Amino acid sequence: MIIDEHVAALSAALQGPARTKARMLTEVRAGLADATDDLAATGLPADDAARRAVRDFGAVADVAPDFQRELTIAQARRTALAVALSAPVLLLCWQVAGSGGGVLPHTARLVGAAAAVAALLGAGGLAATGAWARRLPVPSALPRTVAWAGTVSGAALGVSAVALTVASALAGNWPLAAAIAALTLVSHAKVAASARACRHCARLA
Amino acid sequence: MRGDAVRGHLDALLLAVLEAGPLHGYAIITAVQERSGGALELRTGTVYPALNRLERVGLLSGSWQSAGGRRRRCYALTDAGRRTLAGERTAWREFTSAIGAVLEPGPA
Repeated sequence: MIIDEHVAALSAALQGPARTKARMLTEVRAGLADATDDLAATGLPADDAARRAVRDFGAVADVAPDFQRELTIAQARRTALAVALSAPVLLLCWQVAGSGGGVLPHTARLVGAAAAVAALLGAGGLAATGAWARRLPVPSALPRTVAWAGTVSGAALGVSAVALTVASALAGNWPLAAAIAALTLVSHAKVAASARACRHCARLA
Repeated sequence: MRGDAVRGHLDALLLAVLEAGPLHGYAIITAVQERSGGALELRTGTVYPALNRLERVGLLSGSWQSAGGRRRRCYALTDAGRRTLAGERTAWREFTSAIGAVLEPGPA
């Protein structure tokens, strides 16, 4: 059926968070079906009505960029949220485990500063794509900036996971080492995957 | 009037047809076409991302409704949407009166 083919072609052209993309395509499919019904009610044969509805919708190459822009922003918002939420995790872990002597306090300050900057960028990214976007257009560099913040934040979480787990283990505090390893590694996996998806989307729109 | 001429005013058109009450995507498209007496042809594929964007920035609120085996996203104006629509109307009146004054000068 021509509507299914058109929706499938649009789907193949788009990259982004699966749920947002599925939501958009569900809406498009219903809209094309409504348009087909409407045209068929005027006496057009069903196949012609569907063809006309698809023509009125626009060629995939013409309309895909608008959809992709929204999907890229949706991905950037997810990554920005993950980055903003990972900063407290990071700071808490360093607070708990990084207060010992040696090289740890210096590293803690460095990682803390990186986490704070990344969190601010994440929060700024959420604001710039939300209510602020009523008046100001979303800067085209925003998805890339958020992806970069996510990459930095993911790396900081990864380094922290190793450093803090080793430090806690050396101090003989195995339960703390295990808890920190689990918490930072989960955060690292979430943020790094989100940042990777965001980099990918940012290249498309 | 083809899509390109309409594009810059798409947000205002979408907000305006939702002023009377919530509608789903296809009903919004037909409302714009009917209210313009068929003069405005929207490329319907541009309307859905625009609705998505207006919902993201909080000018519309969306909710899913099921009828006849079809799930449709239904959109309603938010308070911010009403304020933005009022602003768009004022800007449009100022624009048309300024252009009109140049194109059709009154008696000196």
